[in-house]
Amino acid sequence: MVDIVTSPARTEPARWRAVVGPELAVVAVGLLAAIIFPDDLGFITRINILAIFTLSLALVVGQAGIGTLGQAALFGAGSYAAALWALHVTPEPLSGLLIGALAGAVVATGSGLLILRTRGLTLIMLSIAFAQVLLEIANKAAFVTGGDDGMADIPVNPIFGVVAFDFHSRVGFGYTLAALVAVYFCLRRLVASPFGLTCRGIKGDRLRMRAVGAPVFRHLLCVYALGGAVAGIAGALSAQTTQVVGLSNLDFELSAEGLVMLAIGGVGHLGGALLGVPAFMIVRHVTATINPNHWLLVIGLLLVVTVLYLPGGLYGVFDKWRRRTERSGS
Amino acid sequence: MTTFKRLAALAGALLLGGAVAHAEPVRVGIIAPFSGPFSNFGEGWKAAIEAYQKLHGKTAGGQEIELIFRDLTGPNPSEAKALAQELIIKDRVQYLGGVVFTPNAFAIAPVVEEAKIPTVIFNAATSSVLDKSKYFVRTSYTLPQITVPIARFMLDEGVKSVVTMVSDYAPGADAEASFVKTFEAGGGKVIEKVRVPLKTTDFGPFLQRVKGSAPQALFIFFPGGPPSYGVIKAYKDNDLRSTGIRLFGTSEADEKDLPAIGDAALGLESGMFYAGAHDSAANKAFVAALKDVAPTAVANATALEGFDGMAAIYHMIEATKGQRDPDAAMAAIRGFAWESPRGPVRIDPESRHIVQNVYIRRVEKDADGKLFHQEFKTYEQQPDYGRTDARHDAK
Amino acid sequence: MTLVGSILIDGTAYAMILFMITVGLSITLGLMHVVNMAHGAFAMLGGFAAVELMSRLGLRFELALVIAVVATALVSVPIERFVISRVYGRPELDQALLTIGVAFVAIALVNLWLGASFSSIDLPAWLSGPVDLGFRSFPRHRVAVIVLGCLVSAALWLFIGRSRFGVKLRAAVDNPGIAQSVGINTSLLYSLAFAIGAGLAALGGIAGAELLPMEANYPVKYLVLFLAVVAVGGQGTLFGTFLAALLLGLVDTASKYLLPDLASISFYLTMLLVLALRPQGLLGRKDVA
Repeated sequence: MVDIVTSPARTEPARWRAVVGPELAVVAVGLLAAIIFPDDLGFITRINILAIFTLSLALVVGQAGIGTLGQAALFGAGSYAAALWALHVTPEPLSGLLIGALAGAVVATGSGLLILRTRGLTLIMLSIAFAQVLLEIANKAAFVTGGDDGMADIPVNPIFGVVAFDFHSRVGFGYTLAALVAVYFCLRRLVASPFGLTCRGIKGDRLRMRAVGAPVFRHLLCVYALGGAVAGIAGALSAQTTQVVGLSNLDFELSAEGLVMLAIGGVGHLGGALLGVPAFMIVRHVTATINPNHWLLVIGLLLVVTVLYLPGGLYGVFDKWRRRTERSGS
Repeated sequence: MTTFKRLAALAGALLLGGAVAHAEPVRVGIIAPFSGPFSNFGEGWKAAIEAYQKLHGKTAGGQEIELIFRDLTGPNPSEAKALAQELIIKDRVQYLGGVVFTPNAFAIAPVVEEAKIPTVIFNAATSSVLDKSKYFVRTSYTLPQITVPIARFMLDEGVKSVVTMVSDYAPGADAEASFVKTFEAGGGKVIEKVRVPLKTTDFGPFLQRVKGSAPQALFIFFPGGPPSYGVIKAYKDNDLRSTGIRLFGTSEADEKDLPAIGDAALGLESGMFYAGAHDSAANKAFVAALKDVAPTAVANATALEGFDGMAAIYHMIEATKGQRDPDAAMAAIRGFAWESPRGPVRIDPESRHIVQNVYIRRVEKDADGKLFHQEFKTYEQQPDYGRTDARHDAK
Repeated sequence: MTLVGSILIDGTAYAMILFMITVGLSITLGLMHVVNMAHGAFAMLGGFAAVELMSRLGLRFELALVIAVVATALVSVPIERFVISRVYGRPELDQALLTIGVAFVAIALVNLWLGASFSSIDLPAWLSGPVDLGFRSFPRHRVAVIVLGCLVSAALWLFIGRSRFGVKLRAAVDNPGIAQSVGINTSLLYSLAFAIGAGLAALGGIAGAELLPMEANYPVKYLVLFLAVVAVGGQGTLFGTFLAALLLGLVDTASKYLLPDLASISFYLTMLLVLALRPQGLLGRKDVA
């Protein structure tokens, strides 16, 4: 448990705001979006799911400095695990989420043992290779995974036996939003804890961390496995809300998209995931409606501009604004 | 800004929807790749749809038709489902069309079934797709539908031994299975069945293998684009024809890719439901209209999938007078027969799949030195031979 | 024995193409420590330039090849000076993201111009058709590619090993700080090295167009392939890239001949194996990984 050391002058409401403020903001924005765009709940549900996936990247890449381009392997592992669980054991959704998290963590541990002793280009390539091999196995094991046709008609029971998933994605929206808030809360606590501090230390200077006796490899493996669990949850949510799983859940394109969304939002903060994903998805949706071919140009330029001029991403901009208003406010 | 527009639109729609329901256009949603590596499907379909509307007008059943295009760049079942939902809930389409990939078709089936939206599949060629929803109709083809006549043709030509070489994915497996079944049933021998990974760029080794096995013919199935280019080029470069191995295929030397493949394709024999050079009045009208609305578009099988898809949609709209009546629409389309630029076609009432001629043709050069497919044999009104073949379950 | 010969010739030809395209990437990585995800775009640029020169201006293949290679090298200079150099010294993630953005822009521009169709390069008569090597006939083009690859490798080895430029290059790779302090103009060096890499990529792209046809998606489609060669070979080492290209090319070809069902997995497994056992690549330096 993290003890927030407060000075006697700080009042109770402020402490409360620090503990759950951001989560409430997420809930508020989510509900507002649902009210204003009631026909787009399917789209918002997908944003929620991808936000959870990108949070896993924010943890692994942003906090611990593990530059991976194979995170889709963990998302896909969660998807397929949840789908198989629903088809062969029980379509109860919450247990499916746990299974997805478990699958993601297990696959991440396996992957981590292979890649975490390396850095830079080697780590990138190993993460890609691992994900591609997993994809090939899923492709070949068509009797289990449906191969490149994927799995469809995945059953999903009502949540708590009462709240059934509906065609308009209202329940799906609420379900994924709740999951997003829960994951965000847990990750925020983790990042603020000594564990999170160690992660950032390793990201900053691995050699120095070793010199002070931190068990670097074990720590990285832990973070990576946690990130895998989060990605697995996102994958399971995808399987449950769309009732469909395909090889695209394991593909490189998803890994790359996640990284791009995080970059736009801001790599260094968890909040970057929450800003980058909606920005990316909405701009893509709007651009694609106007002219699908311009999307790639837009995202390419956006990336170049973000890296060169907005290194903190959208979160950096938001943070500067917040600090400026706080300073002028108090 | 956009929020106000949306609220206003919503309010407006609610008002209008209540009072003036009958003046609303019939909305048709087309889900296809318009960007990325498969955009030739989306672009080709769009051009063909425009050609159809040039020939048949923009109204049917007394109502105006509004087309909404949504980009789906590749096989991505969750996104396919999301797009279908958006088109149905938000854009309130009456019909859906398009869909290239089988996993995407599988994904939208439950949505389409629950919302009762007649959906014309323009491509997704796996037989079992149509079983997933009784609102699915298909105007493309299936692999068994064209490989069975090809196998029969080869047997008639006296080909006794063959090596099959297909791309390692579901349609390839389909093509291989139905070809082998028919060829062996006719007394032929399949020496080897080669599956080539989708990402392969270097086909030389595979064709060397075939040369070593010395069959009388090589049967191939590859998706259009670089894989087909690679395989045909490798066939030529490794000099298989001179050792007496004939090359048979399906849609590999598509009219769009022929210029890039070049003379290497000469002599390639294949079976397909349409060739741009098909000699009929309906086709001449189609080609002219296509050239008019989209000068850079190519008259190929892809275009026909979209053209006939629109024919099916128009027929359903006519039958329901533009009103939302999915079951009446489906009743009308079942058994509907018409003259398409590809020849006489019919929607099978039971399978809801298109029944059509399959033409055996050879790549030749015309008087201007341009490569084209010369049709020389017709297998009439071929059904979907894969209908009862449970190749694999999607579950 | 025909099988072994086939694997050797086909595999080496594929390897030579990979080498020519990726050697520039390895030099860039070793020299400027930049992971250039847009490197494939230069191969694509060269390929399309050659196609256009031949089809629109009616130039013959040989001339189009030379002009396309030089043009690509020239075009790469402002890209390096004004965009890529801005991320020298920044974390690898930033570099990767920036260069992916550049690749996307390149793809989008080609897409707008050409759509999704692919283009092929018409080889002249002396490069088409088969040539009989006794035990088997091979496509003449393959043999030419092997010869070209060897010539390029030899030229590079001589140039980098013997010339003054090469000495400075190796110095800057080994220790940029000291190199600068002895008066080596590292910025100029970087630009030159980048241009040479881009030109070589263009050469590889044109030579390899039979195997890797020119299409808008080219840079991203083969990105993993190119990066794999560099990672397996080791950064900044010419010979390492050569070896890695040979290894991966031969393994890929051999599995196509012997185990076609496992061909795609075998490539990734080889990469996994090498990198797991030697993270710095075959000939890379240990401190880098």
